[in-house]
Amino acid sequence: MNNPLVRLERLSYQYPHTETLALYDISLEIRRGEFVGLIGPTGAGKTTLCLALSGIVPQFYGGRFFGRALVAGMDTVEQPVSALAARVGMVFEDPETQLTATSVENEVAFALENLRTPRPLMRERIARALGAVGLAGLEKRHPHELSGGQKQRLAIAAALAIMPELLVLDEATSQLDPRGAAEVFEVLRALNREQGMTVVLASHAAEELAEYADRLVLLDDGRLVAEGTPAELYSQVALIESHRLRPPQVAKTFSLLPHPPARLPVRLEEGLAALPPCPAREPLPQPPAPRPLAAPLITVEGLQHRFTDGTPTLTGIDLAFHPGEYVLIVGQNGAGKTSLVKHLLRLLEPTQGRVMLWGRESRAWSVGALARRIGYVAQNPDQQLFNLTVADEVAFALRQLRFPPAEIAARTTKVLTALGLEGVADRHPLSLPKGDRARVIIAAMLSLDPEVIVLDEPTTGQDYAGARAILELSRTLHRQGKTIIVITHQLYLMPEYAERVIVMGEGRVLLDAPLRQAFHTLEVLRETRLTPPQAVLLGQALCPAAMLLTPEEVARCLTASPPAGGAP
Amino acid sequence: MDAPIPSGEERSIRRQGGATLDGAPIAYVAALAAVMIAFTIVPLPLSVVIGFGRSFPLSQGLYGLTGWLLGPLAGALANGIGVLIGVFLNPQNTTLPIASVVGAAAGALAAGVLGATDTRRRWALPLALFFGVLYMLYGGRAIVQNGANPWAVLAGSFIDWSALLLFLPARSWCARWLRHSNLRQVGAALFVGTWISSGLAHLTSACWVYFAYNWPAENWWLMAPAAPLEHLARCGIGAIVGTGVIAGLRATGLLKPLHAAY
Repeated sequence: MNNPLVRLERLSYQYPHTETLALYDISLEIRRGEFVGLIGPTGAGKTTLCLALSGIVPQFYGGRFFGRALVAGMDTVEQPVSALAARVGMVFEDPETQLTATSVENEVAFALENLRTPRPLMRERIARALGAVGLAGLEKRHPHELSGGQKQRLAIAAALAIMPELLVLDEATSQLDPRGAAEVFEVLRALNREQGMTVVLASHAAEELAEYADRLVLLDDGRLVAEGTPAELYSQVALIESHRLRPPQVAKTFSLLPHPPARLPVRLEEGLAALPPCPAREPLPQPPAPRPLAAPLITVEGLQHRFTDGTPTLTGIDLAFHPGEYVLIVGQNGAGKTSLVKHLLRLLEPTQGRVMLWGRESRAWSVGALARRIGYVAQNPDQQLFNLTVADEVAFALRQLRFPPAEIAARTTKVLTALGLEGVADRHPLSLPKGDRARVIIAAMLSLDPEVIVLDEPTTGQDYAGARAILELSRTLHRQGKTIIVITHQLYLMPEYAERVIVMGEGRVLLDAPLRQAFHTLEVLRETRLTPPQAVLLGQALCPAAMLLTPEEVARCLTASPPAGGAP
Repeated sequence: MDAPIPSGEERSIRRQGGATLDGAPIAYVAALAAVMIAFTIVPLPLSVVIGFGRSFPLSQGLYGLTGWLLGPLAGALANGIGVLIGVFLNPQNTTLPIASVVGAAAGALAAGVLGATDTRRRWALPLALFFGVLYMLYGGRAIVQNGANPWAVLAGSFIDWSALLLFLPARSWCARWLRHSNLRQVGAALFVGTWISSGLAHLTSACWVYFAYNWPAENWWLMAPAAPLEHLARCGIGAIVGTGVIAGLRATGLLKPLHAAY
């Protein structure tokens, strides 16, 4: 491996005020033109490694740094971050936090202005960067008029304009709907294949990394555990799962066969090619008989909502939520999912129509009274954290509602224990990893013991184990009789949990159906830019009538059929 | 340390290049100037102040905080820029824009020196003399030139002279408690420190305004009960917001500016 672009030599790093190493003895080389995926559970050190490539770690954080990190021959400890910034483009998780200008072209121009790029060259670079990410023609648009995927592509364009040799993206697609994420991955592939740009992408998106990355690097607990091609790494399903990650559903499906192929397929097309014809004799899973539903807790009647500038967000929604239901709301970014649930909390008022809550119109409720009955966990947990300790955060609402001190203490202890947060009760919430911060907010919401629980993208940025832990908690609460409403783009997580799916698109309800039926109504999912889980697509290819949902169901179906034969 | 021993050689870390001002990264200065702009726009609906026909912006409670977060010079710059833009956006919250800008800068300067444990401590005496001269000019003009009752002037400028009197003696205690691991002590230091720094900021701007406009001698008596109440609100803002910000900064572990006092 001659002349690598990145060379990490026994790199270790410890953040200030901590006693553990965030990175430990990492030695790694990244060749020019490689597309490298960084995978690992929450807290594995992926973000720290990304920041170390740009010198932000350690130069902005301090702490203790061991070994060397060389990027394009520059030592990241000795070179100023500004010099490294000309070689390393960074794109972070939330596109909103990266956009500051008032137009698309000004956003891209910002870094160039800072580098004192001559005006004609700047114009050329802006045009080229916007063209590369498919935003040509939108130069005069305000960044906030763009969709989530477009915003993240704009952030990438801003990084590209300085023509970096290395593009580092930290969870850059986790907040995007599947189509938005696919747009970003396509742009990255084009930059990598056509322009030879080296890409390092930290992500939990197993299916996409299997599709796009040349090499994966698995980190856990700050250590480099394994590296190899996606086929090499993801076919080791036991290894991946032992590090609280999940392999692509294709690999998982074939790993469950009694005689799995020597090398598991890791990409959808490989899995589809390995499928046998539809077996006629497998037992088809029968959907459970619908439960009798009690009178609805919440009804939404002819709901319309427009923002103050006249932009419609909801156009004629009619829905009912019954006690004890587990409802999944899905749809593209901007489909109106969050706007809908905000109406249930009176955080938004209907422009037309009405919302009935426990038999009373929403305007008869105060926001505070509704907050006691409907617990809401918003998309970004950091926006809901403001207390100095985890325990104070959980107890805050109870204190405001003047619960007796003994009950506050009891409820706080109970929910902290239930969420595995008792060991960090005295820590500042911001000192916790993102996954734990989300659980703090969920704990604070649960302390009020609400009847209805709304989780808005609760698994964003979580590793597989963290996401499952949150959903397991939601299942426990559901079994206790709570009504659960979850909004997520991560459809593959939900078959074990949700009963009913509301598919939204452009402010309308496109489909309201049981989960199995909804996941197999592919044309409606595609209409709202959603990608069904790979297991659903395998199931469609294998035996559409069975409406298979999970790798386990597909594997069971395959087991009943003649052997799948050799995988590619 | 519980961590295993890394095999790589430990490196000396310092911020390389990049624009800094008196040891504070320009990015930090810009961020706090932006915060100050936002707080300059938010009026504090304190009834006693509204009773005088105006309100004061929340930023007045945070003049000291920028000095403690960035150091005296960078803090003064962040306050100056923030309030300069803020008064354009929200002119009704100021009597004389330039006085507000200079007062805000003086507040951070005083706070930075109040919390200093390094060579910046030596700036305390000259700074105290400067504020002393300002107070003499302010009170002297009222009593000698405008014939105001000396007791009324003393009562009406209580927040100014009390801040001046506390500035030198409270330095060591304030610097120690701002760095304390117990946030209650940090909050107490922020409260008292805001009394001092915002008081000196008030003295600076009030002196300028008084020389520009004067005000009727009777106003000194009116200010006597209202100004301390208003000032206590500033201290409350400084302590509550400051404790949260310092706790958050400590938790996230971002590199501290060279002359930060937390």
